[in-house]
Amino acid sequence: MNKKSDWKVHILALIMVIVAEFIGIKKFQVGPGTVLLLPMLYALVIGMFLPLLRLVDREDMDIASPYIGLSVMYLTAKMGTTIGPNLPKIFSAGPALILQELGNLGTIFLALPVAVLVFRMGREAIGVSFSISREGSLAIISDLYGLDSAEGRGVMGGYIVGTLLGAIFNGLMVGFLISLGIFHPYALAMAAGTGSASMMAAALGPVVAAYPAMEAELSAFAATSQLLTGVDGLYMSLFVGIPVTEWLYRKLKGKAADNNTRKEAAN
Amino acid sequence: MKFSSAIRIFLISGVLALLGNFVGFKIDPIKALPGMLILLALVIAGYALSKVSPVKLPSIAYISALAIIASIPGVPGADLVTKYVGEVQFLALCTPILAYAGISIGKDLGSFKEQSFKIIIVTFLTFIGTYVGSAIIAQVVMKFTGVI
Repeated sequence: MNKKSDWKVHILALIMVIVAEFIGIKKFQVGPGTVLLLPMLYALVIGMFLPLLRLVDREDMDIASPYIGLSVMYLTAKMGTTIGPNLPKIFSAGPALILQELGNLGTIFLALPVAVLVFRMGREAIGVSFSISREGSLAIISDLYGLDSAEGRGVMGGYIVGTLLGAIFNGLMVGFLISLGIFHPYALAMAAGTGSASMMAAALGPVVAAYPAMEAELSAFAATSQLLTGVDGLYMSLFVGIPVTEWLYRKLKGKAADNNTRKEAAN
Repeated sequence: MKFSSAIRIFLISGVLALLGNFVGFKIDPIKALPGMLILLALVIAGYALSKVSPVKLPSIAYISALAIIASIPGVPGADLVTKYVGEVQFLALCTPILAYAGISIGKDLGSFKEQSFKIIIVTFLTFIGTYVGSAIIAQVVMKFTGVI
């Protein structure tokens, strides 16, 4: 096989990184949360325009795709080095804080059935449903399936939506949950640590605003929960989240197929 | 992919991150270099481990484990790891990933567009599921243990 050189891809990536970093982080306050525009999003958007400008062809795209999974490994290493220093604190967290981490898997049982049964999505559903699609999730999906797979499209879509609208949505959602009055403010604060700093801030904000006297405890609970998610997130997703998502996906797909045949039979 | 080709890509994307770290965060590449080399060593070690280990786990599981161990207070050199890697910004490491993703994404643009509405709704549901799932467990455990 006559393989094309990959230097063009690297040079393009270099230019994209420099342009994106030069523009820098932009923040907008919208309602209850901030819209955060990050350099990595600009890099992605620039990339989408390259084929239109005829700067890349199909072969370049194929060359670039394994490099995503390799460059993700630096991010994994960096995230790991921020966990070590915090490890001792985890042993001092209470049972409620530790056990609520399992609740982060709740997304699978809400998002996946809707994705598969209502929207009839394919394996994109796995990528987008197993987590809130933050950077660690990109790393997991790119290592297990590749970011240019169906699962990769799912997690990338979730990543873009979350980066742009995650903080606002979380702010509105928590405001609504407070008004229902079902949950104790401690529980709401502990739930705020889902792995994204901007989403945590947006989720904690309304709780603190509603219970200002408890501000110190609420912030401490949210920060500890955030820390715990940082520590267990990768392994929980890898060893529990993804296998459970795969299992439920197969179950739901079987069901969806059954429903289709039943409908056809009825017709 | 051959091991040597992977190392080559690690080096190239490391340079991209170092430059992004300079342009975006004004951190002198010379100052960030030791941290970047520590990350590179962790990445290569974890990647190699995943290739030779009889336990078949994704490379990121090994890389993350090595990085955690190397930075636990009390482990020899952990304070240096934390200090030097601190010069390499998290966001600067993200940009090269999405640059490569951006180049390769062109071929999926059609199916991306087609699914965009569904993906927005499902992503919102992941926020609800993750948050409410945690809130329910926290509420029940605190009730059970008498905290609230």
